[in-house]
Amino acid sequence: MKYESQKVAKLYFVAAIGLFVGQILFGLVMGLQYIVGDFLFPEIPFNVARMVHTNLLIVWLLFGFMGAAYYLVPEEAETELFAPWLAKLMFWIFLAAGAATILGYLLVPYATLAELTMNDLLPTMGREFLEQPTITKLGIVVVALAFLFNIGMTILKGRKTVVNLVLLMGLTGLAVFFLFSFYNPVNVVMDKYYWWWVVHLWVEGVWELILGSILAFILIKTTGVDREVIEKWLYIIVAMTLITGIIGTGHHYYWIGTPAFWQWWGSIFSAMEPIPFFMMTVYAFNMVNKRRRNHPNKAAVLWALGTAVMAFLGAGVWGFLHTLAPVNYYTHGTQITAAHGHMAFYGAYVMIVLAMISYSMPMMRGREACNSARAQSMEMWSFWLMTISIIFITLFLTGAGILQVYLQRFSDNPMPFMVVQEKITLFYWLREIAGLVFLLGLVLYIASFFVGKNEPEATVELAK
Amino acid sequence: MCIIRLIQFWTCENRETIMEKNNWPPGDLVIWFFILAELLVFGVFFAAYAFTRANNVELFNEYQLHLDRNAALINTVALITSSYFVVRAVAAIRDDNSKGCFHWLLAALFMGVVFLVVKGMEYHHHFSLGINLSTNTFYMFYLSLTFFHFLHVILGMIILLAVALKARSGGYSAAEHTGVETGASYWHMVDLVWMILFPLVYVMR
Amino acid sequence: MEDKKFIRPCTLIYFLLLGLTVTTWFIGTQGLSGLQISLLVLGFALIKGQLIGDYFMGLKQVSGFWRWPVTLWLILVGSLVTYAFMISI
Repeated sequence: MKYESQKVAKLYFVAAIGLFVGQILFGLVMGLQYIVGDFLFPEIPFNVARMVHTNLLIVWLLFGFMGAAYYLVPEEAETELFAPWLAKLMFWIFLAAGAATILGYLLVPYATLAELTMNDLLPTMGREFLEQPTITKLGIVVVALAFLFNIGMTILKGRKTVVNLVLLMGLTGLAVFFLFSFYNPVNVVMDKYYWWWVVHLWVEGVWELILGSILAFILIKTTGVDREVIEKWLYIIVAMTLITGIIGTGHHYYWIGTPAFWQWWGSIFSAMEPIPFFMMTVYAFNMVNKRRRNHPNKAAVLWALGTAVMAFLGAGVWGFLHTLAPVNYYTHGTQITAAHGHMAFYGAYVMIVLAMISYSMPMMRGREACNSARAQSMEMWSFWLMTISIIFITLFLTGAGILQVYLQRFSDNPMPFMVVQEKITLFYWLREIAGLVFLLGLVLYIASFFVGKNEPEATVELAK
Repeated sequence: MCIIRLIQFWTCENRETIMEKNNWPPGDLVIWFFILAELLVFGVFFAAYAFTRANNVELFNEYQLHLDRNAALINTVALITSSYFVVRAVAAIRDDNSKGCFHWLLAALFMGVVFLVVKGMEYHHHFSLGINLSTNTFYMFYLSLTFFHFLHVILGMIILLAVALKARSGGYSAAEHTGVETGASYWHMVDLVWMILFPLVYVMR
Repeated sequence: MEDKKFIRPCTLIYFLLLGLTVTTWFIGTQGLSGLQISLLVLGFALIKGQLIGDYFMGLKQVSGFWRWPVTLWLILVGSLVTYAFMISI
C-alpha cells in the first residue's frame, strides 16, 4: 500500500463480508424452504428470502467492487484518492440505504413497502433483482455518481494505466446500465427487453471488465510480470467480452415476443461468451508460471487463479450448457439456470472480490505484504471448502435440473411443476448439505482474519 | 491443384532466402488468439447458414438471386487488393522504408473505404425496399453475416489507420515492426473470412 | 525492388486470387446451380483462403502449432458446408 487514502477500501470490504454472511444465511433458509415449504412461514416467506438472498449478493459485490476500486485506482494512478471523505460519506449512505431496504423487505409486506416509499410516483418496483424501492434506486445512483466522480478525478490527476481505464469503463457501464432500472414500460415485452439491459449487460458485460481489470492488477502485483504483457491480454479479453456479451444479450430474447432473429444472434454470440473466460484462465496461469517473483501472499494468488478457473467453468461452461435456443427451449427457468447462476456468480465475482480483499487487507491492517502463515493456511482452507461446496451445489442443482427438465417438459407424460419438485427433493437435500459446508468455509474465512495476528508474516521459501 | 503446387514450389524457392521458418506467426501472439476466436465465430455462422439453407433450399435460392453479384465482385477485389497492399506495407517496413509502408497502408485503407461504400450502397438498396432482419430467414442470415463482417472491416481499418499513423511518424523500423505485422494479420483475417462469405452467400446455390 | 526479380511472389498470389474471384463471379452471374458447381466454387474459396493464410498472413514461414489453425479452419468450414449442401439436394 503506497497511499494513505487507499485505506477507505477497508470499510467497504468489511461491509461486503458482513453482507456476504447475510446472503449465505438467507440462501440456507431458502434452500430448506425448497424441501420444507412452510419453514419460517409466515415470518420469512420464500419470495422474501429469495429477494434478500439475491439483493444482498448484488449489494455486497457492489461494496466489494467499490472497495477494490478505492484500493486499486490510487495505487495505479500513483496519487492519493481525490476525496477520501466523499468515499467515507458514500459508504455510510450506501450501507444505511442497503440496510433499510433489506429491513423493509423483512419487516413489512412488499406491497406496503411500495406504498411507504411512494412507488406510485415513479413505479420501478416488482421486478426480479430490481425489487428495491425507487428511493433506494435513486440512492444507488447518487452513490454511484459520487463514486465515479471520485475515481474519475483520481485517474484524471494521476497516471493513466490500462488497468485503471478498463476498470473505469466497467464501472461507468455499471452506472449507465443501472439507469434502465428506472424505465418500466407497461408492455411486458418491452419491460423484459430493457430489464435485461441491466441484468445481462451487468453480469455478462461491464462486470466482466471490472473482473478483468482487478485480476490484471493482482497479477501485476503478485507475479511481477511486465505490465505491457498483462495489458495486451486485457485488451483482447475486453474486446472479446464486449463483442460476445453485448450481442449475446439475445440469448434472453428467444421467446419473449421479440423478433425471431434473436434466436440465431443470441445462440451464436452467447455460445462464444466462454472464449474470453477461457482466455482469462490461460493468461492467469501463464502469468503465474512466468512470474518473476514469488509473492508471499499465497492466498491471494490462489484466489486469483481460482477465479479464473471457476469463472470459466461457472459462467463459461455452465452458461454454454443451456444458451443455445433449442436447448433453452426446454431448460428455461429450471434448476439448470440456478446451477449456472450459483457457480458463475461465485467464480466470477465473489472470488475476484475475495482475491482483492485477500491481497489488500493485510497491508491495510498494517502488514508489509501478507498475513502470517497460519492465517493464510486457514484462508486457503476456506477457499477449498467454499469452492468445492459450490462445485457440489452446482452439480446437485444440475442433477435436479436435468431431472426436472425431463419429467416436467421432455418425457412423454409431462408432470406438473409441484409433483416434479417432490421428486427432486433428494437433490435439494444434498444441495442444502453442501450449503452448510459452504457456511463452514465462510466461518473459517472470517476466522482467518483473527488468527495468527501476532505471528510474523509468511515469507517466500528460498529454495526456488 | 497441380498449378497451385507448382506455384507454391516456385514461390517457396524464392522466399526461402528472404525468411527462415520460425515458431511464431507474424505480429503479436495475442492478436492470433483474437483471430482464432473471430474465425470460430464466423465458422459457426457459416455452418449455421449452410445447415439452415439445407432445410430451406427454395427460399434461399430464390432470394439469393436478388443480391448484387457485381457489387460483391467489386468488394472481393477491393479486399484482396487491400490485403495485397498490406503485404507490401509489411515488406516495405522490413526494408526499413517507413514512408513506403505508410503509403501502402493508405492505399489499403482506400480499398477498405471502397468496400464500405459499395456495401453501404447494397444496404441502402435493401433497406429502401423495406427489407430487414425479419423479412425472411435468407435475409436474416445475409444481413447478419455481412453486417458482422462489415463491422470487422471498420475495426480492421481503425487498426490499420493507427498503424499507418505510427508508421508515418517513424514509429517502426526493420528491426521492430511487430505493430505493422499485428495489424496486417488482423486485416488478412477480415479478407480471409470474406473469401468464404462471398461464394457462400452470393454464388453457391 | 532490391532483389533482381521481375515479380514478387505475393504479386503472383494476388493475381491468382483475382483470377479465382472473377471465375467465381462468372459462375455466379451465369446463375449456375447444382452440387458440383457449388462444391467447385467452394473449392476455389478454400484455395483462396489457404493462399491468403500461407502467403499474405505468412503462415507458410511458420512451423509448429501456428502453421495449422487457418488450414484447419478452412477444412472444418469446408466440410461442414459441403455436408450441408450434400444433404440439401
